[in-house]
Amino acid sequence: MEHLRKLLITFALVLFIVSPLQAKDMVVKEPPKSLSKYYPPQSKQPKWIQQMHKLSTHFGGVFVNLKEKDFENVDKHADQLVEEYKKTSEMVPEWEEYFDIKAAEVFAAAAKTHDIAKAGKASGGLGKTCGKCHAENEVSVWAKFHWPSFHKIEVTDPISEKEMEFEDFMGSISSSFKGVTVNFGEGQYGRAAKALKIFKSRYMELKSTCSKCHATQDVKRFYVGPDADKAFAGLSEELNSEKPNPGKFWKNIGLLGKTGCKHCHLVHRTNAFIQEAWEH
Amino acid sequence: MKKSSRIFDLLFGAGLIGVSAIALLYFLINERFEWIPEVALELARDPEILKRPPAKKCSECHDEIFEAWKKSRHSISWTSETFIEASEDRTKEKCLPCHIPQSVRGEKPSPRLDLRDEGIYCVSCHFIENKMHGPYDLLAPPHPTYRNPDYVRSDFCGSCHEKTLKEWKATRAEDTCQDCHMPRKRGRLTQKPGFNLLHKKRWVGDHRFLHGKITEKDVILETRWEEKFFNASLTNQTIPHFVPTADNGDPRLYLYIKFFNDKEEEVDRAKEIIAPQQETALPYKQTLNYRYRLFDPVAKAIIELKYQPAWSKEKTRIFTQTVSR
Repeated sequence: MEHLRKLLITFALVLFIVSPLQAKDMVVKEPPKSLSKYYPPQSKQPKWIQQMHKLSTHFGGVFVNLKEKDFENVDKHADQLVEEYKKTSEMVPEWEEYFDIKAAEVFAAAAKTHDIAKAGKASGGLGKTCGKCHAENEVSVWAKFHWPSFHKIEVTDPISEKEMEFEDFMGSISSSFKGVTVNFGEGQYGRAAKALKIFKSRYMELKSTCSKCHATQDVKRFYVGPDADKAFAGLSEELNSEKPNPGKFWKNIGLLGKTGCKHCHLVHRTNAFIQEAWEH
Repeated sequence: MKKSSRIFDLLFGAGLIGVSAIALLYFLINERFEWIPEVALELARDPEILKRPPAKKCSECHDEIFEAWKKSRHSISWTSETFIEASEDRTKEKCLPCHIPQSVRGEKPSPRLDLRDEGIYCVSCHFIENKMHGPYDLLAPPHPTYRNPDYVRSDFCGSCHEKTLKEWKATRAEDTCQDCHMPRKRGRLTQKPGFNLLHKKRWVGDHRFLHGKITEKDVILETRWEEKFFNASLTNQTIPHFVPTADNGDPRLYLYIKFFNDKEEEVDRAKEIIAPQQETALPYKQTLNYRYRLFDPVAKAIIELKYQPAWSKEKTRIFTQTVSR
């Protein structure tokens, strides 16, 4: 009986491991290299996304004009959609199979009957080709070409004044943070005060780092703003007092974590993980 | 009448007409631009100028301005190594409008697709709606130029230097951006032989777009000792915007403080980074205070202020001061 149980468990495990991916599973694989030529720096403009906008505009243009009974423009958009769809299908050879020219032509022909129900029905075949490619590649394309890369960011460490990779800099912030909390926990308030100066200096350097991508002060302040200033002022006050108050100290530490670290990590880390997988 | 005398009269008459014509032309070009009909202005225009030429084309006449511009940061706004690195190989969209502006005219420009290596060049600032514009009205073949008072106003620079403009406005200072960064001297707008004689000398701005040098007269240091603390303060005394200032660049002042005991041994050190991106830059006529706890007995402090521009990793010293207890 025991053998049978083990056999069943082994069989179930093997079955689980070799099962094909389900529809809800998502594989984020690096986009084909040929796509790079449609994005900066190889291209002056982000031509791929511009092409997607063209397709979307013509597709939407058919229905907008069908509803408005502007049939001349329905026909124009239908023709332009087929033209741009064909052009798009030739842009990235690795993705050629996603495209179904016949489906585009069938949709255009249906649109030209000026019957919105027929156009709607025929749009399904074409929409599926778009949807399949988007489901399999959209996340990757956005991660690769629309998010600046954290791994290309160089940060000047305010303590050593040496250029560091972003990941290393985040490591050094983490270490200096621990210098504050560990020393405080041990009752070494003088050491904790010295460590706080280093930690604050590195933490504030993030404002410069944010500005490498973010153009507005408000965005930077969302991560390293008045809440962080207040928390640092509170920590400094406690560590420079005769008898630091642990309650106030840990409250300010928590404030820094919640408003600064967590805000940024929630927004940026997922994408950074994806980029990291491709770039290392 | 002798034949030679007649020839002399003829030549004299022709010369007089020629000189009068040149004088009239000089007068019209330099003093009465508004008398010249639009048709005549059109005749003076070289159609090539309307095709947004590279700066080299402009240098055929405006050699001195071209040479000054070539030395400016504007001329390398697209090609500098610092920019290429900071913009992730020029892929960051936020950098493009001001590093390759299509047309600068008092609001955030759009990036252009052509002649990107020229950076911020003649056409970006002077070519608006298919006409050349500048601080003077001029009929000057190959292009008439239309006067626009914005060229001597700070708002023009604020198209890209938005934050700095805002800082400057808050100071209510009279000196404009151009007064300090494009100081003017009397000169001719063109150096092309012949054309240069038709232009009277005017006030011409320095197209190197000078970057001022910060000295200890500009940033004032004051210090004060307490039993367990050392206090330092910096005041931006003379520069009517934040110091340093930048919209997206990251220029910095570094304030270094070393503490020594009575045996001349270094016992501690501190540092401040004074930078617009960290919102720690020095506002005009305002004082920022820094306070340091002294953990060990301290007899003196040596304080050094250094400046690092946005486009370089090199720091230059502004001052060093020793303060004894």
